Amino acid sequence: MVKMSLDPVQVMSGQVKELKVAPSSNGESRGSWEAKEEFDQDHLGLTTKPKPPKPENAVTVAVSSRVLFRTEREQKVFEQKGVEEYLRYQIEHETEPFAPGPAFPFVKALEAVNTRLRELYPQSEELFDIVLVTYNHAHVGIRLINTINHHNLFIERFCMTGGSSPIGYLKAWHTNLYLSADADKVREALAEGIAAATMFMPEKLTEVSDTQLRVAFDGDAVLFSDESERIFKAHGLDKFFEHERDNEDTLLDHGPLKGFLEALGKLQKKFYAKGQRLDCPIRTYLVTARSAASSGIRALKTLRAWGLEIDEALFLAGAPKGPMLEKIRPHIYFDDQMFHVEGAAEMGTIAAHVPYGIAQKYTKQKTSAGK
Amino acid sequence: MVSTIQNTDVKQKDADRAVVVAVTSRAVFESAADDGGDVYGVGVAFPLLQALHKVNERLLEESSAESLLFDVILITTDDQQQQQSSRITSSTRHYGLEVSRFCFSSQEDFTESLLKNNVQLFLTIDRDEVLRASQNGVLSALLDQQLASCPSEQLRVMISGDAVIKPDTDPMPPGQKGAQSFSTQLGQMRQKFGIFNSPLSIVLVTLHGGRESCGDALRTLRSRGVSVDEAHCLAGAPRGPILSVLRPHFLLSDGVSYLQE
Repeated sequence: MVKMSLDPVQVMSGQVKELKVAPSSNGESRGSWEAKEEFDQDHLGLTTKPKPPKPENAVTVAVSSRVLFRTEREQKVFEQKGVEEYLRYQIEHETEPFAPGPAFPFVKALEAVNTRLRELYPQSEELFDIVLVTYNHAHVGIRLINTINHHNLFIERFCMTGGSSPIGYLKAWHTNLYLSADADKVREALAEGIAAATMFMPEKLTEVSDTQLRVAFDGDAVLFSDESERIFKAHGLDKFFEHERDNEDTLLDHGPLKGFLEALGKLQKKFYAKGQRLDCPIRTYLVTARSAASSGIRALKTLRAWGLEIDEALFLAGAPKGPMLEKIRPHIYFDDQMFHVEGAAEMGTIAAHVPYGIAQKYTKQKTSAGK
Repeated sequence: MVSTIQNTDVKQKDADRAVVVAVTSRAVFESAADDGGDVYGVGVAFPLLQALHKVNERLLEESSAESLLFDVILITTDDQQQQQSSRITSSTRHYGLEVSRFCFSSQEDFTESLLKNNVQLFLTIDRDEVLRASQNGVLSALLDQQLASCPSEQLRVMISGDAVIKPDTDPMPPGQKGAQSFSTQLGQMRQKFGIFNSPLSIVLVTLHGGRESCGDALRTLRSRGVSVDEAHCLAGAPRGPILSVLRPHFLLSDGVSYLQE
C-alpha cells in the first residue's frame, strides 16, 4: 500500500476553499455584508460558474481519462511495473498536467456549444454535460483535477471507480455517448444500449475548428444497423446493390449512434429557432461508402423518416474516406471498421471505432487494437 | 436502566485500539415476521456485520497480533426486543456473529450506553436515534433499507466530500471530531491491504460541490492518512441512481448523516 508522507501544512496551504453553507450550519454566520464580499473576492470565478444541468436533461458525454488526456507514459509504468508503482508515479507527478488526448478537441468544442446555448437559453438545461469516467483509482484524482484546471476545462463531474466496471455508472449518469480507450468497456456499453466508441491518438493532429463542433458518422453499423453490410460481406457487392434497390422504401434499422445524432439534432434546432441556422455551432456529416445514385437513397430516406437532418451527406461510392475527412476536419468521426478508422487517423483525422456488427468478424487491422 | 452483557463466545477487543461500532439489534435482526421461535430472521444490517467481520478476519491474516479491529456491539433500545434479550443473544450465537457485547437500555437513555461504551460509530435504521446520538456527540449514520437489498461482501464506506472540506473551525462541532477520528482509523485499516482485493473500500462522494470540493476533500483526507479508493463527484446530480450502483453500507458525514434525503 502506498504510504503517504505529505506535510499537512504544505498540502493545505494555497488551497482555494469553496464557500460552503451547509444545512447543518455550525452557527458561523457571516452577518456583515462586507465580510461576505471579502470572502467572495478570494473565490473569484466560483460565483460565476454556471450550475451543471441534471443528467437526464442534458446530452451527457462520458469520457475516460485515457482519451481526454495523453497517458501513454503512465500506461507503460502500469504495464511494466504494476499498480502500486503506477500510483506512486502518478502522485509524484501530480502537479504535472497531462497533455491533451484525442477526445480533448471534441470536449472543448462541446463547451463552446454550451457557451452559445447559454447565451440564447440561459435557463435551459439542454446542454452538453461532460463526465470524466475512469476506472482509475482516486489516487490519480488530484492529478486529473489539476490537469482539468490547467486546461480550463469545464468538467465538474467525475466517476473514479477504483477498478470496478464503469458500465453501471454510465447508466446512472444517463450517458448519451461514452468514449474510452478500452475496446472491451466500449463493447459492454454498446451491449447495454449506450452509444460508445474507442478512440485512438492520431499520429498527427490536424487543427480543428474551435467555434463549430463537427461530428461525422459512417452510415452502416453506426447510424444504421449492419443488415446491409451483412449482405455485402456474405454475398458481395452486386447482391448488396440488388438488396438495397429492392428495399429502397423499407427503412433501415437503427444503429448504435443514431441516438447521439438525434441528440445533436435537437440542440441544432434550438439554434435554428433563434435564427442561427447559418451560424450554427454544430454541424453533422454522413460519410458513407454508399453511392448517391443507388444505395445512398435508402440511407437518406431512412434519415428523413426518422426526422433527422444531417447537414452534409457524402456518398463516396467506395472511394477512400481519408481525403474527404481531411477536408471536413471533424472533431470526431465514427466508423465501425478499423480499416477506415486507421486510414482516417493516418491523415490526421480524429477517428473513433464503434465495435458493432458484422464487420468485427472481418477485422483487417494494421496495428493491434484498443489500448 | 442500562446493562451490558459480554459475549463469551467472542474474544474481547483491545479497548484502547479497537474501533467500536454499535448497531441496533432492530437493524440486525428482523423481528417483524415473528414466529416466536428461538432465532430471529436477518435484518437490514446483517450483511454489514458480515462485512465488518470479514475486515477483521483479513486484518488478523495480515498480522495475527493486530489490535486495530472493529469491535461490534449490539444495542437494544426496542422495548419489545428487550423483553426477549435471551433471544437476541441466542440469535447472535446462532449466526456466529462477531459481537463482543450486548447493551440493553431504554429509548431514553441509550445515548448513555453509547458514551459509556466509547462508541465511535452508531448505526441504526431509526432517524430519531441518529439525531439524538449526534446531538450527544456520537458519530452516527442511518442504515438505508433500500440499499441494503443488494449488499456487497466488501465493506464499502462512503465519505461525504461536502463535509470533509470544512476548515477546522474552533470550536469544532462534536460530530465533526468523531467523523475525523473514525475516518483516520479507517484509513489506517485500509493501509494494511493492497490496492486490489481489499475487504474495505473507502468511497468519497461529493454530492453538491464540483471538482474543487472533490480535490480539497481528497487532499484533506490524504493529509489525515486516508487513501480513498473511489471518488465520485456529483455536482448536484440526483444521488439515487449513483448510490444504487455504489452500494455503500453507510455514509460518514459530520454529525447527522443520511444516505437518502
